[in-house]
Amino acid sequence: MQQNSILLLFLILAALATITFLYIYLSSKNVELVKQGMENPLKKRFWFLLILFVVLSIFASVTIPKSPYYLFADETPAKVVHVSAMQFAFIMSENAIDPKRPSGQAIEVPANGLVEFRVTSLDVNHGFAIYNPEERLITQTQAMPGYVNRLRYKFSEPGTYKIFCLEYCGMAHQGMRASFIVK
Amino acid sequence: MESIKSKKITAVWIITILTLFVVSIVLGILMRLNQGGVIEQTPVAFYVNMTTHGLTMIGIWFVAGMMAVNFLLQRYVKTSHTVNILALVFTVVGVLMLWTSTFIGKFHAGWTFLYPLPFKIMWAKWATPVFYLALVVLVVGWLIWCLSLIAQILKKYSISQTFAWQHFKKNPKVETPPFILISMITLVGITTCLIAAVVLVALTAAEYFSKGAFVNDALLMKNLTYFFGHTIANEMLYLGLAVIYELFSEISGRPKWKTTWYVAIAWNFTLVFILTAFFHHLYMDFVQPEGLQIVGQLASYFASLPAAGVTVFSIFIAVYRTKINWSLPNLLFFIGTAGWVIGGLGAVIDATISNNVVLHNTLWVPAHFHTYNAMGNVLFSLGFFYWFATLDTEKIYSGKGTKLILSLLLIGGIGFLLAFYIAGADSIPRRYSNYPPELAAGIPLATMGAAFATIYLIGILIFFFNISKGCLKILSSPSS
Ligand code: HEM
Ligand SMILES: [Cu+2]
Repeated sequence: MQQNSILLLFLILAALATITFLYIYLSSKNVELVKQGMENPLKKRFWFLLILFVVLSIFASVTIPKSPYYLFADETPAKVVHVSAMQFAFIMSENAIDPKRPSGQAIEVPANGLVEFRVTSLDVNHGFAIYNPEERLITQTQAMPGYVNRLRYKFSEPGTYKIFCLEYCGMAHQGMRASFIVK
Repeated sequence: MESIKSKKITAVWIITILTLFVVSIVLGILMRLNQGGVIEQTPVAFYVNMTTHGLTMIGIWFVAGMMAVNFLLQRYVKTSHTVNILALVFTVVGVLMLWTSTFIGKFHAGWTFLYPLPFKIMWAKWATPVFYLALVVLVVGWLIWCLSLIAQILKKYSISQTFAWQHFKKNPKVETPPFILISMITLVGITTCLIAAVVLVALTAAEYFSKGAFVNDALLMKNLTYFFGHTIANEMLYLGLAVIYELFSEISGRPKWKTTWYVAIAWNFTLVFILTAFFHHLYMDFVQPEGLQIVGQLASYFASLPAAGVTVFSIFIAVYRTKINWSLPNLLFFIGTAGWVIGGLGAVIDATISNNVVLHNTLWVPAHFHTYNAMGNVLFSLGFFYWFATLDTEKIYSGKGTKLILSLLLIGGIGFLLAFYIAGADSIPRRYSNYPPELAAGIPLATMGAAFATIYLIGILIFFFNISKGCLKILSSPSS
């Protein structure tokens, strides 16, 4: 899963940083009073910056196209689900939801078909985060009053998916949830 | 140089900040204990603690940076003692009002008080206006402080000198001290985000008093909220860095750092990046213009270049195979820099839009920002506190307790943070008073976080005790 690689990457980078700092610190412990220091630090600084710049640029150009805004952007969804979040529940329906008389239904979406969630809020900001049957966060968007966020996703695995609110919305935020079925 | 008067107010600042810090850590531990199921508080009590903890922490470490910069600025320019006192009074009054709205009024909209949550009253009716008034008191006090420091700097240096623009060319006639450059860049950034806060409060008030005639735009309000919140939380780190530029070499017995062309360019760039990086808080708002999302990722990435290339590299050069008089303050600076870098790595990972989809508002977020706060900026400030408290003593930086304090802070801090990182990678949401059965993995991690945070707290208490003698001595010394 993506999160495992993220954690691993972070731990490796953090370890490298720690080793560098430790090494630099130790190099200052056993040294005579005469300054030895670093030869031509300006040149080294330049290379260090250049490498960092190149690495970051590569990272940016690889990851930006994978942003959710571009995922399945030119496909037509097989199913559209309307979502209205409110304190402290999600209302989901296959038809547009009337904000004056919001009512929802149980949702079932096809496996491997493109699903589009049209997410908004009837009161404060909420989050709409989808967790797979293994309780992993797989994708999310915000539910903002006055706006509709379109979240597209293809579910490969059938099962019960859960939705948790991931934007703090008040005292029952931790209990704000829903679910749907992928068949 | 620093007068007795300014030493006294700095001592009061330090005691105030550390007292509020201890209380806020206790709130943090209570939150983790509640999430761990060790104690049982109502969700409202949890969110009250969370709101109080977040704003108090941001407030105290912001003023910690400001008052240190104010103290050290006196080496270069005259600063106003009256404004310093005024800032202290406004800060204390603001925090007390804030606590009134949260602890008594039960206001609990989170430290980001994201519009329109504060309008959905789930607490005493008076608590919302009192909360915003507290905010106004803090922001106005800090704005006056910032502008006064900027004005004092500009009395001695021209605008282009304060930004060290003359260093872009070869052999500049006058040198801008690094401390002046960084202070100025940071103060300008802070002024900008405090003005955003004023606009934010004004728009909120307009809606509050219009009785429904005027309604704000939620997306605009969110942009403003994070322009303020993200920026102030980052700028306070730069205040800490200014202190390091001034004191690291001095405490270490090394020659003073100089402004060069690359230092000048790096810090000027920092100002631009820091003011646009906040867009990464809106990645999951798909209605935000796409261009701004990309700007958010690029600014977040490249903000690390000047920071790493100049500050971190300079510290490496200063230390590498060079005899250093290691003592508690410069060790705190050095370890704090490492914490800052590591927190920055966690931040860059999260600022990648395609990662943010699975990290946004999980515990990964408190994980990385606590890294560069609790193990970064706080250590910068503690280094300054210790240096200050031992300024007049014979046995400067006497090693008493150094090892013990550092071990407690390191062990406690790392364990506390790891619990956050692991939970974040395990999809556990942030800001949950309790974890539902599906997210039960967060429960033992929360208890672990509480246990390690207690170790960190003990380190802070010993540190506080050690420097309180020095601070009290300064306070009781004759005024003239
Ligand atoms: C060892 C000391 C600390 C402990 C035990 C602690 C604990 C916590 C906990 C448990 C949370 C809530 C996490 C969640 O969302 O579930 C939190 C949030 C937060 N903490 Fe800390 N923290 C500490 C130090 C700091 C420091 C030094 C800062 C400085 C800026 C800070 C700033 C914040 C902020 C801004 C929040 C977010 C509040 C919100 O979501 O509204 N904390 N902290
Ligand atoms: Cu919600």
